Amino acid sequence: MASPNRFLRTWTMMLCVLAGLVVALNLLIDPYDVFGTPRIPGLSLMKPGPKNHALLAKTYQEARAHPVTVLIGSSSTHIGVDAAAPEWPEAMRPIYNYGIPGGAGVSTRLDTLREAIFNGAIENAVVFLDFQDFLAFSPPGDGMSEDDRRYHLLPDGKPNPYRRLQVADDMFLSLATMGSLTDSLKTVVFQRDPTLLNLAPDGSSNDADFRNAFLADGMHDLFAQKDDFELERAERLRRSIAEWQGALPNVDTVRAIVALTRANHVKLTLVITPHHADALEIYWRIGLWPRIEQLKTELAAVADQAGGDVALWDFLNYDQFNTEGVPAAGDRHTPTVWFWEPTHFKKHLGAVLIRRMFGRDAPQYGALLTVANVDAVNRRIRDRRRERVCGHDGPELLTALAVKIPDGCALP
Amino acid sequence: MLFNSYSFIFGFLPTVVIGFYILGARRREWGLAWLTAASLLFYAWWRPINVLLIAPSILINYGLARALEKTGEARPAFARTILIAGIVFNLCFLGYFKYLNFAASAMNDAFGTGFVLTQLILPLGISFITFQKIAFLVDVQAGRVSRFSLADYGLFVLFFPQLIAGPIVHYREMMPQFRAAPCRYDPENVAVGISLFFFGLAKKVILADPMSPLVAPLYARAAAGGGQSMIDAWIAALGFTLQIYFDFSGYSDMALGLARFFGIKLPVNFNSPLQATSIIDFWLRWHVSLTRFLTAYIYNPMTLSLTRKRMAAGKPIFGGRNTSLPAFLSLLAMPTILTMLVSGLWHGAGYTYIVWGLLHGVLLCINHGWRLARPRIWPDTKRYNVRMAPVGFILTFLSVVAAMVMFRAPTLSATLMLWKGMIGVYGVTVPAAVFSQLGELAGWLSAVGVQPAWTSGSMLLTSTVRIGCLLVIALAMPNTLRILAAFEPALGVKPDRTPSRLVQVLTWVPDTAWAVGLAFVALAGMLSLGQLSEFLYWQF
Repeated sequence: MASPNRFLRTWTMMLCVLAGLVVALNLLIDPYDVFGTPRIPGLSLMKPGPKNHALLAKTYQEARAHPVTVLIGSSSTHIGVDAAAPEWPEAMRPIYNYGIPGGAGVSTRLDTLREAIFNGAIENAVVFLDFQDFLAFSPPGDGMSEDDRRYHLLPDGKPNPYRRLQVADDMFLSLATMGSLTDSLKTVVFQRDPTLLNLAPDGSSNDADFRNAFLADGMHDLFAQKDDFELERAERLRRSIAEWQGALPNVDTVRAIVALTRANHVKLTLVITPHHADALEIYWRIGLWPRIEQLKTELAAVADQAGGDVALWDFLNYDQFNTEGVPAAGDRHTPTVWFWEPTHFKKHLGAVLIRRMFGRDAPQYGALLTVANVDAVNRRIRDRRRERVCGHDGPELLTALAVKIPDGCALP
Repeated sequence: MLFNSYSFIFGFLPTVVIGFYILGARRREWGLAWLTAASLLFYAWWRPINVLLIAPSILINYGLARALEKTGEARPAFARTILIAGIVFNLCFLGYFKYLNFAASAMNDAFGTGFVLTQLILPLGISFITFQKIAFLVDVQAGRVSRFSLADYGLFVLFFPQLIAGPIVHYREMMPQFRAAPCRYDPENVAVGISLFFFGLAKKVILADPMSPLVAPLYARAAAGGGQSMIDAWIAALGFTLQIYFDFSGYSDMALGLARFFGIKLPVNFNSPLQATSIIDFWLRWHVSLTRFLTAYIYNPMTLSLTRKRMAAGKPIFGGRNTSLPAFLSLLAMPTILTMLVSGLWHGAGYTYIVWGLLHGVLLCINHGWRLARPRIWPDTKRYNVRMAPVGFILTFLSVVAAMVMFRAPTLSATLMLWKGMIGVYGVTVPAAVFSQLGELAGWLSAVGVQPAWTSGSMLLTSTVRIGCLLVIALAMPNTLRILAAFEPALGVKPDRTPSRLVQVLTWVPDTAWAVGLAFVALAGMLSLGQLSEFLYWQF
């Protein structure tokens, strides 16, 4: 029977019950791993939800993980370095992967490192640096982002007064929004899907996204698509840096990273992240390679100024891994071994990096850069490039690039 | 403060409604004063300076209206002077804030002058408020409004459910309601108000807002000079049309619902315009209160004046089917195009809005012309209506969608890029991931010029599915006015005499099933409030 009063009573009651159920479900499933609710097999063991909320999820995860070693970086670190890899020395464990996907810049690396150091007794920090971040000037900040407000400390080291409000906001986002409800339901429904993306409690991610893309399109298309994107970015970066004469942008931020770790007695390893030769070739051919060499020189100087406390590893070269061949167009079955696409390496290569930097019996890959050897390393890479790209196996490597920027062998 | 914000839904609205019921139950004046004060707070929330800008304008208009009321019939010439002064004042007020920079920029473009553009604070809802104030002055002068106080006038102008983005209301349809409103808790009004409000909220945050990230990059690319493939250009055009459709429809429902909490019924503002079968029909359904204002205060006076002049000159006037071409052009086409030019300018200070208005003016003229000529070409009206209604619908739909591109594109050149894309000038591309799955069909498509591109397949899929779903809702579903027709959701809305089967099934009654269903709708709407997004019409 229709009655406005009964309608309003039923509506109010129903709304409260439904809202309560949503909050309870989100708390149980914890789609962004904000609360640290125990993962339940078959229900919430795998967490695909943080895909679009990585910094949110990782900031809370890291605080709970109490790592001895923290890995700082971007999406390539997030995807390519396994915090649980057996190659890590026992003394460095537990390890937390604080790599942030989605275009995190050098300043985000400094912020996340500061947060990790604040949260616990970090002894080692491995900071992965993407060379592209040093070829563009960061736009002036537009106030504090919600990620900035989440950290315990402000950039000047003072306590962050906005954090409480942001934490409340995060709780709300995780408990009472359509996004969290949808992500909770997806988490439950697709739990047994073998291709489900997962953010592990140690911050590492499985490679489901890339694997699914490979199965759909094949490796060639993944490389070709990323080449197009990278070419656009490289041209943008060239315009940005063309007339610049001084030190490269963001090197000062690395200096701040070094100062922060030294002040907190954290052993710092800087890593220039490996890229596939496809990506390197784009930067070479549009004339940015001297800037990359300049970057290595400047970073070597920063590391040297720390008086031997800081190791700087360079994996940006034309070595056997980086020049891995790309399957032909139309081949959707042949996988690559080391790279998903030109800017993201696989965990196999991540394991090689770990062994090379911290283990034994590693292949001769990359170089420990110092002011003394940086010029020689740069020369060696040029020679190596000439062999690999201008030699017999060059054309098969560089898929469609040769058509777009044909002058492959002239020095810029 | 946005209607679609937590602070409004959980803070402002319950406080104002409860306060209104408590104070109104003691004395009606207290309840109405509370409502005016709350509306002022609502207006000041974003920028308190807004109140300082709008308050003197309200006081001056009130003074002019009192002067008009006193001089009225005794000194008509003086009253007319006061009215003109009032209209000029309001237009100058609007012009200064909204059009000064555009005029300076247009002068700089046209004559190479060096006028400096200044940063002006545009008071919220100034276009709506100005039109409402002008309509009030005209009504007072015409004797359609009498007996008003400053408190009445203040509430009429500031009433928060319609303050920022309409509907543009008339004093004579609002004040009698305020005077008769129960000013206390009425379960039927609250039930209808809640239903309208949450239907509107769901339209805004669940249907309209998710379109924004899908279409924004396409318009940005066009603005940067990038040509769009045919599929992308159509996604941009259809996507934005549906975004603004559900945005405005949602806002209108929310405004109706909010007013209903106070026992007030606002006029209809939005009535399934995409179901229109002609462009004339479209303007009787889209932003109805604006069409009503423009017709009553611009188009009709202009037509009347021109008709008198033609009659005085001995020229033929409008004569239905026998209208001569000169009479059609001067008495219908010119006033229509000028009125729509004003409509375009009212929407925004920019070339795109002007051309948008003119384009709609031309379309309306073609439609009017066809209505006059059609009986001679196709005399059987019944058969014409049956056969041509679908054609009229398609032509209207395509015209509205194409014109809507101009509403969203930042420049005329971006509009042109998108229009070219829509007719295939920049080719047709399909995301490579989709293309590679098409098997033999890919070969066929290649043969007719369709090419793979490194664009996102999932984005295409999401856009297509969303647009498809929204089109079904917009074109096939009964609107909120029809669903709640039995409870007069807007002023003068009555149930259909012969409702369709779908309307019968969906007719709202305050029963348990609707309470449960609406709880789901309300919860979905409130859970989707995470990202604040302004109503598109609030910028006008």
